[in-house]
Amino acid sequence: MTSIDLKDVSLFFRVRQNRRIALKDFIVNQMFRKSVNPYMEVRALSNVNLTIRQGDRLGIVGHNGAGKSTLLKLLAGVYPPTGGKRIVNGQVSSLFDLQLGFEPEASGWENIAYRGYLQGETPKTIKTKLQDIAEFSELGEFLNNPVRHYSSGMLVRLAFSVASAIDPEILLVDEVLSAGDLAFQKKCRERMEEMIAKAHLIVMVSHDLESLSEFCNRAIWLDHGRIRRAGSTDAVIAEYTDAMGGALPKAA
Amino acid sequence: MSQYMAAIWKCRYFWLSLVQMDLRSRYRRSLLGLGWSLLHPIAMTAVLCQVFPRIFHNVDVRTYAPMVLVGLCFWSFVTSCTLLGSQCLFQGERYIRQFPAPMAIYPLRIVLGSSFHFAMALLVVLALRFGFIGFSGIPSFISLIPTFILMFILGWSLAVLSGFVTAYFPDMQHLAEVGLQILFYATPIIYPANTIDGKLGWMINCNPLTSFIGLLRSPLLNGEFPSVSHYVAAVISTTIIAGAATTTLVRLQKKIIFQL
Repeated sequence: MTSIDLKDVSLFFRVRQNRRIALKDFIVNQMFRKSVNPYMEVRALSNVNLTIRQGDRLGIVGHNGAGKSTLLKLLAGVYPPTGGKRIVNGQVSSLFDLQLGFEPEASGWENIAYRGYLQGETPKTIKTKLQDIAEFSELGEFLNNPVRHYSSGMLVRLAFSVASAIDPEILLVDEVLSAGDLAFQKKCRERMEEMIAKAHLIVMVSHDLESLSEFCNRAIWLDHGRIRRAGSTDAVIAEYTDAMGGALPKAA
Repeated sequence: MSQYMAAIWKCRYFWLSLVQMDLRSRYRRSLLGLGWSLLHPIAMTAVLCQVFPRIFHNVDVRTYAPMVLVGLCFWSFVTSCTLLGSQCLFQGERYIRQFPAPMAIYPLRIVLGSSFHFAMALLVVLALRFGFIGFSGIPSFISLIPTFILMFILGWSLAVLSGFVTAYFPDMQHLAEVGLQILFYATPIIYPANTIDGKLGWMINCNPLTSFIGLLRSPLLNGEFPSVSHYVAAVISTTIIAGAATTTLVRLQKKIIFQL
């Protein structure tokens, strides 16, 4: 049974306030004088408790920097929890940071294979999907060129086409509904609807509240790394919108 | 451990295709293709063969040339694992930020590429050996199998260590270059291991890389099985370096993303 359980999960990490420190500076500064580039603690997620079961379509709302994408990456296993427990049962597929994960010198075709392999495909299975992926991306002859020549829109098309060519158990989605131009966005939406229908469990982050209420049956509102409200999508969105509206400066 | 290795094996198509791409893009850029990567050790050997017999009159080029080339091939393997390895996590960052694959696959990409170049250079060594020394002692070549396995583990471990240290300290590559330069002269690469004695000779014998050079040169140049002491020294040094790399992976592989 596909499920996600987060038990009192926190994610704190330390980063240098300025740039990364050189080894020679580290030895001199740390041993002989006070550091001029001290660590800063980032509290990305604090005491998050979340249970998601098969059939759930969870939407996550919150302001920029609230920890939405971090939570999604933690669910994907990219970030480790520094406190609490993360239990995920099921094969995770993620649609986020779509423009990342390309080898600039390799062609579009080769990049399709690389991303496919990372998603668990084999040369045999990717071969059967190659044509579909290429057609969906509508990149045609450009697929023969190295992806360093692609525009950001073309990269998103390619990434979405590969990522959405699988049948996911757990689907994690971050702001991909606005991928590419208008025509491609329509295709993305249709493909997303198909994926959502097939996936056992979905977690979706978006600032597009209409899409969230269309696709999701539950929602949480993240605020400074904590769950501020959880419940039905409409109720959470209404409360979040009210709070955001209240925060807006009033017109004179 | 076995679970971790299984996870590495599971994404084998991914890292194998990256290695394939690295090799292709490296050779695609040059007219000489594969020859380009062999040019450096061959040119260096040619230069040394011109210089050394003039300084030391008892040097025979026919034995000196294959001896130097073996040393340079091994050295080039060690330096590429360390220096290219220092960039392996930055190179893989685009995947690390998206997919939770085992972190050891990124240094593995480097050591596989370096092993390929080493294998190609070894073909030139064999050509020189058969041309200058002859075909005697070929059965001893079987001893190269455990040597190659040890070298592979050593290279993978060096790439892991330099990759992780560089993620924390970006000047690591520069410091490694300086360290390797010193190590180059402290390793019997351009001279036979037994030519230097006294304090310096003792230092050279303590250098863990000396045993690897011995493991390669004994069968390849003399047609003899290497001494047990070379095996023991190579196994001990590889175990220590591999232990450090494994500890680094266990302790830091989940946290390293915050440094990229």
